[in-house]
Amino acid sequence: MKNSYYEFFCPVKVIAGKAALEHIPYELTGLAAKRPMIITDKGVRAAGLLEPVISACEESGLDIIAIYDDVPPDSSVGVVKDIAGIYRSEKCDSIIAVGGGSAIDTAKAVNILVSEGGDDISVYVGAGVLKRPLKPFFVVPTTAGTGSEVTAVAVISDPAKSVKLPFTSSFLLPNAAIIDPRMTLTLPPHITAATAMDALTHATEAFTCMAKNPLSDAFATAAIKKVSTSLLTVMDNPKDAEARLELAQASTMAGIAFSNSMVGLVHALGHATGALCHLPHGLCMSLYLPYVLEYNLESIRGPLGELLLYLDGPEAYATTPADRRAEASISAIRSLRDALYKHCKLPRTLKETGKVTETQLDRIASIALDDGSIMFNPREVTLADAKAVLKRAWA
Amino acid sequence: MINRLITPMALQARGLYVELMFQVMGRALQAVSEVDRDVRSEVSALPEGFLFEMMVMPDGSRFIVEHIGNGHLHYHGDNASRPVDLSIQFKHVAHAFLVLSFQEKTSVAFANDRMLVDGDISYAVRMTRVLNRLEAFILPRLIAKRAVKEYPANLNLPKKVLSAARIYLKVANHFVATVRA
Repeated sequence: MKNSYYEFFCPVKVIAGKAALEHIPYELTGLAAKRPMIITDKGVRAAGLLEPVISACEESGLDIIAIYDDVPPDSSVGVVKDIAGIYRSEKCDSIIAVGGGSAIDTAKAVNILVSEGGDDISVYVGAGVLKRPLKPFFVVPTTAGTGSEVTAVAVISDPAKSVKLPFTSSFLLPNAAIIDPRMTLTLPPHITAATAMDALTHATEAFTCMAKNPLSDAFATAAIKKVSTSLLTVMDNPKDAEARLELAQASTMAGIAFSNSMVGLVHALGHATGALCHLPHGLCMSLYLPYVLEYNLESIRGPLGELLLYLDGPEAYATTPADRRAEASISAIRSLRDALYKHCKLPRTLKETGKVTETQLDRIASIALDDGSIMFNPREVTLADAKAVLKRAWA
Repeated sequence: MINRLITPMALQARGLYVELMFQVMGRALQAVSEVDRDVRSEVSALPEGFLFEMMVMPDGSRFIVEHIGNGHLHYHGDNASRPVDLSIQFKHVAHAFLVLSFQEKTSVAFANDRMLVDGDISYAVRMTRVLNRLEAFILPRLIAKRAVKEYPANLNLPKKVLSAARIYLKVANHFVATVRA
């Protein structure tokens, strides 16, 4: 322990619970912001999720000056430039992102342009380019999984060059994340399941990969407990606001955990599969999690065994011999996936997705080997190892 | 009193050690790319002319190597005629010393935020694999196990000894050539 070292950083104010949205006007006023712009997507607007945000602001005499509701699932440099143009022409002074990963990442990128100037977001690509705080920025997540509201990263695609541009800076973090159960009440079962498994994977990898630390461990275990106790409750009763809030908080806590201790092979394989086969990120996480844990087993037996307490409760933990707890943790995750399959047919294998062919596995493996997440995996992954994990995840 | 005399000398020695190790590593990277097919296979995915740098922030010791084609690396010393494409930067000379004296694995140093990557992260992952392979070749197994995440299971003793001898010979020749020049 005397040689250990870690860093932990999360300056985001978390505003969570009943009537959390109604805190937005007060918080904006505290930052001297009076002309907010909402950035969202059509799905969020169609689901009626903007109304509570707008009415919460208007009731306090704060007008939403502009709304951009056309963020695509894979946002681009052009979209960012357009939104920044609207922000400037409407003389906005702050941003509220309402949505999932894409809307939040887009809003982060827009905040760079409107704070730093210019129309070309690619100028700010990379780590540590930003040197000062940006405009007031709030995030209202409408899914419970990505954790983007507490991560210092945004990824925007550049279609002309066929590349994804990563932006990393602590200044990208929002001033506040508003977690209100109303925002996830209408999330369809399939997306609820996949995004919750995304959060579970963030927390599990944060707890078992190389950069784990005592503070991220605390967030990770709390997140795992919330997912394992609330996910099936929500699947049974989607309108259970309390359980929905638990999942939303789990997502944020898992986000805090993994943004400070990084992730591993599950994410490396998931990123590669998403890029090649266009599967949703949360689904990829759910697909690979047990197989990667099995692959890493001998390197993570201790921490993975500890997770049984949070995955399956104190009784299961107490009655399982210490040397079998790691395997029991994997079994608990498998049982959760089986239950989700029964509820909403969330695929458990690559074959069940119907969108991946066996011939693509080699390509997925080689792309995954170059993914940054693989650096933090507790085992050194070779091409043969990655292929073997994919083969097990196939069917 | 003695402490006040010894501490600056120890710090200076640490800096010199890091500088020397960078010079060895740069030359050894060129050598291993000439000796090992697996390294060439990794490096050949980098664009030709790609410049890779490892350095100590803010402006400390460094080495630069270039991919000159077909997976071969060329050692440039501590400067190049144009900006590098990928830089792995130790935040402090103390962090570089921890890694280069094999007290901390490269992968652990990344996990501990001792280093920053400036450039394409996928290329950084690739170059880290090359550095690991180099260390597995040139260090005794016991020390190599302290330097890399996992010692390669398929690296047998005859191959290791033969490759290490060739790499050390090439590094020594390069040092001699540098001195003569």
